[in-house]
Amino acid sequence: MKIITNVLRALALFATILFFNSGFAQTAEEGAQLFNANCTSCHAINEKVVGPALKDAHKRRDEKWLISWIKNSQKMVKAGDPIAVQIYKENNEALMTAFENLNDNQIKSVIAYIKAESEKPAAPATAASTGSSVSNEGASPVEVNANMRGKINWLLIIIAVLLFMVIALVLDILGLVGQIQGKPVINWNSINSKMALLFLIAGMGAVIWEFAAHTKLTVNSYDGASAHSNEYDSMFNITFYLTLVVFIITQILLFWYLFKYKHSKSRKALYFPDNHKLELIWTVIPAIVLTVLVIRGLKTWNDIMYHKDEKAQLIEVYGYQFGWNARYAGADNVLGKHDFREIGKVNALGVDPKDPKALDDVVTNELHLKVDQPVMLKFRAKDVIHSAYLPHFRVQMNVVPGLPTQFAFTPTITTADMRSKLNDPTFDYILLCNKICGGAHYRMKMKVIVHTAGDYEKWMSSQTQYVQNAAPVADTTSTQTQVRVPAKNNKILAIK
Amino acid sequence: MSKTHSHQDDHSHDAHHGHHQESFISKYVFSMDHKMIAKQFLITGIIMGTLGMAMSLIFRLQLAYPDMKFPFLESIIGHWGKDGKLDPNFYLALITIHGTIMVFYVLTAGLSGTFSNLLIPLQVGARDMASPFLNMLSYWFFFLSSCVLTFSLFVENGPASAGWTVYPPLSALPKAVPGSGDGMTLWLVAMILFIASALLGGINYITTVLNMRTKGMKMTRLPLTIWAFLITAVLGLLSFPVLLGGSLLLLMDRSFGTSFYLADIPADLAGGIERTGGSPILFQHLFWFLGHPEVYIILLPALGITSEVIATNSRKPIFGYRAMIGSILAIGFLSFIVWGHHMFLTGMNPFLGSVFMLGTLIIAVPSAVKTFNYLATLWKGNLQLTPAMLFAIGLVSFFISGGLTGIYLGNAALDINLHDTYFVVAHFHLVMGSAAIFGMMSGIYHWYSKLFGKMMNEGLGYIHFWLTFISAYCVFFPMHFMGLAGVPRRYYANTAYDQFNVFIDMNEFITIAALLGGFAQLIFLFNFFYSIFKGKRAPQNPWKSNTLEWTAPVKHLHGNWPGEIPHVYRWAYDYSKPGASDDFIPQNVPDPGQVDEMQEPDPAKFEPSRTSTPAAKQEVVLFAALKRLFGLARS
Repeated sequence: MKIITNVLRALALFATILFFNSGFAQTAEEGAQLFNANCTSCHAINEKVVGPALKDAHKRRDEKWLISWIKNSQKMVKAGDPIAVQIYKENNEALMTAFENLNDNQIKSVIAYIKAESEKPAAPATAASTGSSVSNEGASPVEVNANMRGKINWLLIIIAVLLFMVIALVLDILGLVGQIQGKPVINWNSINSKMALLFLIAGMGAVIWEFAAHTKLTVNSYDGASAHSNEYDSMFNITFYLTLVVFIITQILLFWYLFKYKHSKSRKALYFPDNHKLELIWTVIPAIVLTVLVIRGLKTWNDIMYHKDEKAQLIEVYGYQFGWNARYAGADNVLGKHDFREIGKVNALGVDPKDPKALDDVVTNELHLKVDQPVMLKFRAKDVIHSAYLPHFRVQMNVVPGLPTQFAFTPTITTADMRSKLNDPTFDYILLCNKICGGAHYRMKMKVIVHTAGDYEKWMSSQTQYVQNAAPVADTTSTQTQVRVPAKNNKILAIK
Repeated sequence: MSKTHSHQDDHSHDAHHGHHQESFISKYVFSMDHKMIAKQFLITGIIMGTLGMAMSLIFRLQLAYPDMKFPFLESIIGHWGKDGKLDPNFYLALITIHGTIMVFYVLTAGLSGTFSNLLIPLQVGARDMASPFLNMLSYWFFFLSSCVLTFSLFVENGPASAGWTVYPPLSALPKAVPGSGDGMTLWLVAMILFIASALLGGINYITTVLNMRTKGMKMTRLPLTIWAFLITAVLGLLSFPVLLGGSLLLLMDRSFGTSFYLADIPADLAGGIERTGGSPILFQHLFWFLGHPEVYIILLPALGITSEVIATNSRKPIFGYRAMIGSILAIGFLSFIVWGHHMFLTGMNPFLGSVFMLGTLIIAVPSAVKTFNYLATLWKGNLQLTPAMLFAIGLVSFFISGGLTGIYLGNAALDINLHDTYFVVAHFHLVMGSAAIFGMMSGIYHWYSKLFGKMMNEGLGYIHFWLTFISAYCVFFPMHFMGLAGVPRRYYANTAYDQFNVFIDMNEFITIAALLGGFAQLIFLFNFFYSIFKGKRAPQNPWKSNTLEWTAPVKHLHGNWPGEIPHVYRWAYDYSKPGASDDFIPQNVPDPGQVDEMQEPDPAKFEPSRTSTPAAKQEVVLFAALKRLFGLARS
């Protein structure tokens, strides 16, 4: 049955495409790219993410309304559009990013994409939005009558209190019985000391199991993908082994003493108030160990942070709620000037189109790197603090509005090599936001791709320069001019 | 010193024993009695703690079951949990308020407020605090602050959602996140009231300890609890005003269009006024200048309580009393010069990172000394495993586990890949969260009879301890691995990342452990409130302890002691002293023939010669072992 309906639907879709809109497939494809670049951090087709599910959005509202909403939803809310106000309220007054940099045609293609996706039958793996496929099957909520549920809750609370009272009473009675008999019924002293020993053994067992089971999931368990990873990892390992030894010795002593020296009436504790030599030893030894760690740590820190390379390629990483862009400096290796006042006006990144240095800048929403090429990432934020975190490269730096920050490193393993190393054909490096920045913080990421030198050049030559295209139309502000974006790359930027 | 106290004796007698007819309001509400204020702090702290814990359980459910719907959520949090699905913005609000409540309302006010108030006058031998009136104000500012924070949960756009560290611009721009609307303003107001409370309390604690000790209570005879409370109060007094300043500036940026913390923010994002010239990093400096001492404001009282509880229940003097004081002082001092380790990756000059890293790792030395001294105190003791003692041991265990990961995070280089990941969450929940909560629990079980004149049910206490201890480790230990895999904190779900989604089972395990831990706290709540009414009547000195509070009668008196304030003849840790008939000698008991309170007992006269004590023999054995281990020559 289901197959037949699916086939029918597909046919219907095909017919629609064929008869009503011959450019449909093309626009939807472009729309898919725009959608993935701009919308997925907050929206999906079939489920609510930060913003509402977009399935059938084209049926609920007309195109004109949608275009004006996507460009600047706040304007509509302020103007008092009843539907806009309602949606704003329904979504707990979370602001939708304004997309004034998208032109009408681009938004139309996004809508076309939403239309195409809405008409697809809802597949179990929800499409396009994310790479996620984990779902808890059989975890559908059990529907219980709300009134009934309230009663059950109260009942549970009463039962719990009664239960505690009974336990308290029983314990009291046992205590009294013990007093009468002159010998406690429950020997808590012995139970607790045995529990301490049990906890020590079971706990250490659990720690060992944990290391065995979960170490392989950490990024330290395989080679880091940058030149400084080795130094970082060796610093980590030194610290790890030193602290592990201290952890094991002190925890064993603690719980062993708890077991060994439990109370006994026949014994008197040792009066041992101080011993200067002993104290000196356990002051000096940690001090020496820490001196070693400090010296190693300072060396590692300086090696990483003061890593300056004249030949480093300049790439600007631009963070905004909720996404990332990368701007490559181009052949001159100088980034064009930018101004925060022009963001979203001359172009999405506020890059000055008149600056000759900007003419060869290239902007993408994936970060492409060349293997073994030192790279200097310059960070810029549009709105709030973000943090660019690339765990596989041991790279992280906050992205602060108004404060330029940077991080230099050299990628050493290509994406393809890492995939074969990890035996995971879908593996991708990521750059993710690691500083709380708002509702869709948890989806704010950018794919990082490390190419071989040849592949990188090939990829780069397929990119159209960003501001060069823009420059001729930069002063025709009155009419909307679209930059023709080749469908195969991820250009999202256009000039108004 | 001796002059002031005798004057105070007379005063208190006349002033407080004349009238016992107190109205309900002056006794229970606007009380100026430090014991009542301690109870008020404790119960408010417990209520706030319950709220904070409940919030953590809600967001734990989301983290473990990101695809599941919990219809009951809608009945608790309304439109934020529509159709049983937690709103991502409200998730941020929950973690923010959870952090704020736990750090400030439970572990600062609930812990320090309770035990400094209860113990400082009783343990130094004073009738009350230096200024009972300021003390009352301190509680009521705290109460007001708690109310404002709780009210902020109900404003239209939800409570503050920028994380408990409220970094601007996220917290400064109402457009950045819904919670940065009125909720954030209320958060700041609550914080300003809270700081007023902390300062009023702190100045009182310091004055009382310095000026109102009874005759013979030298600084070197103070119990370690008092030393810890004293240094805590000093830290608070020096660091809270900085946060007050920082909060006021943030309030101005939010409400009056200034740009202290805002740079390069276009007008349409910032309420129509373009903001330039400020620095978001400035706020972080001001915040962490409080924020890092705050960690020790939380931890030191817990360590002080632990020192007292471990010594009493080991029936042994605390090992290395002076070294313990020294390490408290060292930690207190160092805590002021390490705040930058929270900011290694803010774009701060890497050279500053080096400086802060050096200071941070030095703190590990006094911390190590404290740990080893606790172990040496337990060694060859006669351990009474009361619930208080178990919680104190739990603290030491957490202090070790969480302290060691501090060595990773204090290292600027390692911080690059660990910063703001679950590794940090695991670290501070162990060393600051769990450890301090365990110190607080230890204090509650130990001094419950001083607070309420009743004993708590011991058996329930043990069940509470083991469940909490096991669940705390189950919750926080696995998080280290998530952190090492690069899973960031404050993520609503990991579903967008294949390589983090492998932790879904671990997240489920953690949530189940957290629910178990939450259940264990219900046992505690029951035990706490049930025992107030139905607990066994407490004996005067249930733990056979040396400190002065146990010489005061069980029934609370205004002025603490019915007659003269006891004089002090010795330090607080004469447990199992050779030659003494009992295994404890309270501080107010003189040695035979001792007349002058200030005189130290003559070791030659009252103690058997040192060389013949078993301690010395043990020392020889220990040294032989150490010598072999490290090849040390004996000088």
